[in-house]
Amino acid sequence: MKTKALLSTASLALAIAAFSASAQAQIAIGHLEDRSGGTADVGTPFGQAVADTFAWVNKNGGVGGKQLNVDTNDYGYQVPKAIALYKKWSAPDAKVAAIMGWGTADTEALTGFLAQDKIPDMSGSYAAALSDPEGTSGKAKPAPYNFFYGPTYSDALRAMLMWAADDWKAKGKPGKPKYVHMGANHPYPNAPKAAGEALATELGFEVLPPLVFALSPGDYSSQCLSLKSSGANYAYLGNTPQSNVSVLKACKAANVDVQFLGNVWGMDEAGAKAAGDAADGVVFPLRTAVSWGGDAPGMKTVMEISRMSDPTGKVYRPVHYVAAVCSALYMKEALDWAVKNGGATGENVAKGFYQKKDWVPSGMEGVCNPSTWTEKDHRGTMKVDLYRTKVSGATDGDINDLMAKGTIKLEKVKSVELPRKPEWFGW
Amino acid sequence: MAGPSLIPAGDFRTSYAADTTIFPTATSRNFAIAGVLLLCLVPQFMGGYWLSILIQIGIFSIAALGLNILVGFTGQISIGHAAFFLLGAFSSAYISNHAPIPVFFAIPLAGVVTAMVGLVFGIPAARLKGLYLVIATLAAQYILLDFFSRAEWFSGGSVPASAEPFSIFGYTLRGDRQYFYVVLAYVLASYILVTNLMRTRDGRALVAIRDHYLSAEIMGINLTKYRTLSFGLAAFFAGIAGALFAHYQLVVSQEGFGIERSILFLAMIIIGGTGSIMGTLMGTAFVVLLPEAMEWISLYLKGGTIDKALALSNNLTFLREIAIGLIIIVFLMFEPDGLAHRWRQIKAYWKLYPFSY
Repeated sequence: MKTKALLSTASLALAIAAFSASAQAQIAIGHLEDRSGGTADVGTPFGQAVADTFAWVNKNGGVGGKQLNVDTNDYGYQVPKAIALYKKWSAPDAKVAAIMGWGTADTEALTGFLAQDKIPDMSGSYAAALSDPEGTSGKAKPAPYNFFYGPTYSDALRAMLMWAADDWKAKGKPGKPKYVHMGANHPYPNAPKAAGEALATELGFEVLPPLVFALSPGDYSSQCLSLKSSGANYAYLGNTPQSNVSVLKACKAANVDVQFLGNVWGMDEAGAKAAGDAADGVVFPLRTAVSWGGDAPGMKTVMEISRMSDPTGKVYRPVHYVAAVCSALYMKEALDWAVKNGGATGENVAKGFYQKKDWVPSGMEGVCNPSTWTEKDHRGTMKVDLYRTKVSGATDGDINDLMAKGTIKLEKVKSVELPRKPEWFGW
Repeated sequence: MAGPSLIPAGDFRTSYAADTTIFPTATSRNFAIAGVLLLCLVPQFMGGYWLSILIQIGIFSIAALGLNILVGFTGQISIGHAAFFLLGAFSSAYISNHAPIPVFFAIPLAGVVTAMVGLVFGIPAARLKGLYLVIATLAAQYILLDFFSRAEWFSGGSVPASAEPFSIFGYTLRGDRQYFYVVLAYVLASYILVTNLMRTRDGRALVAIRDHYLSAEIMGINLTKYRTLSFGLAAFFAGIAGALFAHYQLVVSQEGFGIERSILFLAMIIIGGTGSIMGTLMGTAFVVLLPEAMEWISLYLKGGTIDKALALSNNLTFLREIAIGLIIIVFLMFEPDGLAHRWRQIKAYWKLYPFSY
């Protein structure tokens, strides 16, 4: 009887298989993407672009002859899941050279660990708190291994507020303009709140109490009625398009006359299509010099990369896809430098970001905005290109046609070059 | 074939002590001890991924155990368990960050804090039953979560709070390999505690309330006291588990601890077997492993012929969620008594082999 019981436990023990760390001659990269969580609408094209770009890099010989071993995981925008994945990626026996991260909450939660384990993280979060590598600003904790491509959320909002102040003057309206911050009570929409409200006050806006709306689509009529009754003139939308569209539609229905300002993720072609004429006139920052199909030498590379997951070449790629290609290629070039200068360890990869000034990944000329990272300042760029969505007519049908016919257009409004002020650093 | 592993025929118990023994035979006790010793060796040869899963099973099984006291043994219900779990996590992080108390003591303290709050929310439970109680505990879930998202002094508001690593007398434990032993110690202590609780007067009172509250009351059992007590106990274990989770992750975020996590805790004990202590552990293991297993399957399918033929790609993640739901339904239909019942049947099969009937 004993032997039988022993046998059954032995078979149980056998069932526990060990995962061996394969791929010795490869460079391991961890990739967090959100395809099922609160930011899945923009997380899906961004994550796809990162995966496509690394697949394309591998197809063209990898980095320094080594293939990239990318571990892509949908973490559903949940911090605990991101931490669990990070534990896997930072284990001594399977440590990754770099991470392509995503959300603000999870990236901020990881910042301390990244510094401790020396793993660079190119995130999809542009929170200004992640841009201060040494903590010298006194407003954020040191984030020496955090990188991102694009203006910080705060700088993007500052640029939009400066535009809004000019816009108010140009329209010659009387009195003080009223500004309101809108978004979920979540680190991502909250990140630029204080910075935006401070600058708005400085620029002569009257700052109204912030309005909260969830990251998921829903009925936000009450928020629109608050906007209307408070007489707000400029409203910042801190969420992603799926919930911003709900607000735009509800406010259109309630006949609210407000100039909406989107964050970098806040508006895109799909959002404009979903919202229809309600999205007309929303101003938002574009992280790349051109959008999909734009006239630039680097667009050819983006198209090639897109074919990795879409052999037909017919799928329309939104602004987030193009921005993600830039992010991933900056990471690739940093890896390149690391491989040539002592090997692809996290520490070397981070140094790889500091090697050039006003730098565009090769093959991406005219698409990615020139960026500079230094040991003291991780604000890659201070240039904010403001665009306006222009919707003329019904937006049913294929997005390719809508863009080709110009039913949906992204019009450039202004390019703002912000000064690198020390008092704007880190928040 | 009468060995020490079998209970001989005609084995009559002549005392209550013998009737409530935890291990009916010497072999079953030896196996339990050997199992624990084997678990002690696990961190030496197991990879980081499996270790993290074992730690998760350990932590969640403590919380599920608390819920099983409430649901399985007292016959009450709660769909606010995740909020208590989170309260324990935030409390422990807050205590160890703001007071000169090492994490070693912060974890039980967090359990006590959570138990106190649990007792407060348990007061309506003493008067409410069934569906009414469900809604009352739902309110607890929302009140606590709203508190966490606003009380910046306590939980950091929307920004995740940081928690210290586990330390004891100036010695800090780092990494899963060391933390595993902390969780193992807590799991053992909790399970021994609850197993023994159920053998006491108070434990029998809880079971009596579950079986028929009116009869229990007629027998002289103070319904209000025991119902509130079981809420406090459930919250205590949720708090301990939450605190362990906080110092494991080193970051506490309220994401992922909404109502769906509360339901998942219920799923753990229903799948494992309500009113079964061993079943709690099995149910937790099942619920933790199921999404992981679906992850492997979806990874395996990704880019394969089935994926291409059905054009799944993006939908694989959603398919995973659907599959998890389906498996739970199927489980409830064909295994209503839980894994603990199935486990007993397997044991019985092997004991009677080859003469099972």
